[in-house]
Amino acid sequence: MKIWIYIFFSIFFILLAYASWKSYRRNRSAEEFMLAGKSIGPILGFLTFSAALFSAFTFMGMPDFFRNHGIGAWTFLAFSDGIMVFFILWFGYRLRKKAKEHNFQGVAGLMVSSYGTRWAGVAMFASAFVFLIPYVAIQIRGISIFLEAAFPGMLPSWVWALIMVVMMLVYAEIGGLKAIVYSDAIQGLILLMVIWLIGGTCIAAFGNVPDLFQAVEEVNAELLSTPGPKGLFSWQFLLGSMIAVVMIPVTQPQLTTRLVVVKNLASMKKMAYAVGIFAILVIVPTIFIGMYGAVKYPGVPTSEFLSQALLFDQAAPVAALAIVGLFAACLSTTNAQIFALGNELRSLLRGEEKRAMRITRISLFFFAAVVMVFSTLMSNELALLARVSFTGTAMMAPIVLMAVIKKSKPDKGVIIISFLAFVTYILSLAGVVPDHVGALRLDLALYLFLVISVLLLTGLKKIK
Amino acid sequence: MRKNKKYWTLCAVLVIVLMVLGYTPLMIPNGVYKPMILGIPYTLWTSFLITVILVTLTYIGSKVHPGSDEEEEES
Repeated sequence: MKIWIYIFFSIFFILLAYASWKSYRRNRSAEEFMLAGKSIGPILGFLTFSAALFSAFTFMGMPDFFRNHGIGAWTFLAFSDGIMVFFILWFGYRLRKKAKEHNFQGVAGLMVSSYGTRWAGVAMFASAFVFLIPYVAIQIRGISIFLEAAFPGMLPSWVWALIMVVMMLVYAEIGGLKAIVYSDAIQGLILLMVIWLIGGTCIAAFGNVPDLFQAVEEVNAELLSTPGPKGLFSWQFLLGSMIAVVMIPVTQPQLTTRLVVVKNLASMKKMAYAVGIFAILVIVPTIFIGMYGAVKYPGVPTSEFLSQALLFDQAAPVAALAIVGLFAACLSTTNAQIFALGNELRSLLRGEEKRAMRITRISLFFFAAVVMVFSTLMSNELALLARVSFTGTAMMAPIVLMAVIKKSKPDKGVIIISFLAFVTYILSLAGVVPDHVGALRLDLALYLFLVISVLLLTGLKKIK
Repeated sequence: MRKNKKYWTLCAVLVIVLMVLGYTPLMIPNGVYKPMILGIPYTLWTSFLITVILVTLTYIGSKVHPGSDEEEEES
């Protein structure tokens, strides 16, 4: 297998070097470096959006989710993505209009100029920082689990994490967002190819799809329906997840920015349905891998299941490609998110451009260091951790939505109520606030609170 | 343009209806996995089908969305 790993890694690194060479310009402006000159075409646009959305979490978290909690995982992610891509058409159009009016530099900066107060931007940046850091750490954690299994005893997991982070920083520093977009495209294609190869092997192990599900039925029939054997996929959990997923393009700056940097509206529209097709294509094989795991490796720890199903049960070239694919997925997703955090910070900074860029570049190192520390502390529940991240940032959605919907300045009260919901959610994660309000899950209760409060605020303003 | 707006609204209404359906017992009945189609459990094949319809509606929506590049240039 080692020879295959060397071959695929060499190809991957050559492609990366080519991408960064193509993206490098000696005297580029901050906009070229941070926003790729806002000139991304539809194909690169959908690949970069998909790669930022589907990452190591999809590759490793989703099969494990299917294995442990059953077929409701499709509704959890793929069904929610189907709704999200339609929402992109509506939201992306309005966002781009607003972005043009306010000379978009980042979501936080856009909020500052829309609301006329720095607090709007600071609140957005704080939510992105608090919840993106764990999300990025999930990716690093994911690949560390895998590399430790692939090369037992070779390096401790924190060294793998360090290698990843250093590579990511060097790559981002050379090429900027344009290089990240190219690496996203490479990663997206590798991910799609390798996940189907592995999914196909998992089906072949049972003969065909009906036989695979029949085997699952014999082992644990509860996996074939909701809420699943552990009762996770209740309608409340699934509905809350859908709202969080649909809000990803609104509140996760790495994705919001990608809707703006696509060169025109027609490209953005093409990107929306292409992401939907990509979502279906990439999630389908994770069902097969998960169901395979449910029969072959029920009850074993996540790391053991993943290393067996994705690595040791595969032919040598496929296993090697899986390692490279995961490495690429992790690299591009973490790159996209750390870079987005840097861009958000830059959009909040005032004064000379050179100074702002210097602070931004230093901040990338700082964010990467924080991520590295977090990655050594994360648990193995990749999909659940991702959901927490999506839900946390979704609490800030009213700030962005009101800014893009309203032609005039939105009511500043929206910032206060969103931040209140955001803090309440964090307190619930810390166990200070209960996670249910009566029979209702706290996330759903908070969404309800946000909708009612925004409606009341808007109504009151009209009466005035 | 007006015709486009009508189709766009129709797409949006259909998406909302499908979204609501997705979280009713019709789509996620507790503990039920039959009838199966090609051996695929009930909730999986129904939600897969609706996901495909949602993406198709996004494709149609992208064609009939009333916003245009010219409008973007003006703003």
